[in-house]
Amino acid sequence: MRIRAGLWAVLAVAVALSGVWAAHRGRVALPVVARAPGHCVLNTAQMRRTHMMLLRTVREDIVRRDARDTRFRLTHCVACHVQRTASGRFIPVNAPGQFCASCHAYVGVRLDCFDCHAAVPHHAGAGQAAGSALVAAFRMPRALRASKGAGPGGGP
Amino acid sequence: MSDRSQTTGSLDEEGGGQEPDALRRKLLKLAGAAVALTLAPGVTVLARDLVVKGSGGHKTPVRYGLLIDANACKSGCESCVRACQDYNGLSHDPGPDNAQWIRKVTIVNPKTGFSRSFPVMCQHCENAACVDVCPTGASFRRPDGIVLVDKHRCIGCRYCLMACPYKARSFVARNVSDQKPWAPRGKGTAEGCTMCVERVEAGKPPACVAACNRAGHKAMVFGNLHDPKSAIALRLSEVATTTIRADLGLGPSVHYRGI
Repeated sequence: MRIRAGLWAVLAVAVALSGVWAAHRGRVALPVVARAPGHCVLNTAQMRRTHMMLLRTVREDIVRRDARDTRFRLTHCVACHVQRTASGRFIPVNAPGQFCASCHAYVGVRLDCFDCHAAVPHHAGAGQAAGSALVAAFRMPRALRASKGAGPGGGP
Repeated sequence: MSDRSQTTGSLDEEGGGQEPDALRRKLLKLAGAAVALTLAPGVTVLARDLVVKGSGGHKTPVRYGLLIDANACKSGCESCVRACQDYNGLSHDPGPDNAQWIRKVTIVNPKTGFSRSFPVMCQHCENAACVDVCPTGASFRRPDGIVLVDKHRCIGCRYCLMACPYKARSFVARNVSDQKPWAPRGKGTAEGCTMCVERVEAGKPPACVAACNRAGHKAMVFGNLHDPKSAIALRLSEVATTTIRADLGLGPSVHYRGI
C-alpha cells in the first residue's frame, strides 16, 4: 500500500514538473536564419529535411570518388550563408546565433562539421556582397524551382 | 635503380576502355534518375546516383606522380615546404606535434662526402602500407593514384603513421582553427600530403611543384605517369631514376633522380 502511495506521489510530481516545463517551453529562442543572396541549390523544405543526407552523400563522392562537380558542397553553403560584422569581417557560420549554429542549438544537435572544415569562406567576395558568379553557378536550376517536390535529379 | 611501378603498374588500370562497364554505369544512372521518390512536401527519398556526378571513374588510366631531381634541388631552399604549409594552412613552426606533409631531407655518404638534399612527402604508393593497415578504410587510394585519408572515417588510431616507411603521415593532436576551405583538418585524425588534390583536379600542379618552379630550381615535375606524352613520362624515359626504398615493393608514385 505504501509502495502504491509512493508511486502516486512520484507521478504527481512528474505531472507538476511537466506543467512547469510547458510553461517555460519558449525559453529556447527560435532560430534566426538570415536570408542568403540568390537561390539555394534546393528549396527550403528539402534543405531543412535533407541537408545532412546530401552532405553525407556528397562527402563520400568528393573525398573518395573525386566527384567535385556537384552543387552540394559545404564550402558553397558557407560561402552563401556566412554573415559579416559591421566592419566587414566574416562571422563563422557555427558561431552562436549564426546560420548553422542557431538551428542546431534549437534542435539540440551537435554540429561537428566545423571541427575540421573552415567556417568562413576564403574569398573576400563571398557572403552578402556576392551578387556573384558563385551564387549564379550554384543556385537552384529553374526546372527544380518550378516543381517543388522534385529531387535533385534534374540538375545540370 | 629499379622501378617497381613499371612492372606492377597494371593493377590500377581498371576502368580503362571497358565499354560494357560504361554502358552499365549509364543504365544505373538512368535508373537512379527515376528513383527520386517524393513522400510528402520536403520529404524526398534520394537515389544515391542522383548526387553522384562525374563519379564514373576515369576513361583513361591516370596515375599522378612526381619526379624530383635531387641534382637540381638546392640545399637549404625550403620553398616547397613553405608553399605546402601556406597552401594547406599548416604551421611554419617545427614544433614536436606540428604536421609535416613534406620535409627536406639531406643524405650524406660519409665515405665520399657526396651529399644531396631533396624533399620527401607521401609517396602515393601503389601498394600503400597505410591503406593496408587502416582498420576503418579511411586510408585509401583513389583511382588516379593519389593516396588520401578520409577523415570522416579516420578514428585516429595512428596505425598508418607506424606503417608508413617514409614517415609521411602526421597526426593532429590539438584543436585546429583557421583551416583552408580546401584542406579540412581536425583533431584526432591522421593526415598527409594530398598531392594538392583540389589543385590537381583544377588542372594545376601541386603547390610544392609550383613553388619550386617559381624559385627557379625546376627540380620537381608533376604529371600523369600513364600518359606517355606527359612531361613526367618523357623525362622518366630519358633519365635514370629510382624510388626511395624500392626494395619494399610499394610502388611509389614519387620518383627521384640523383640519389
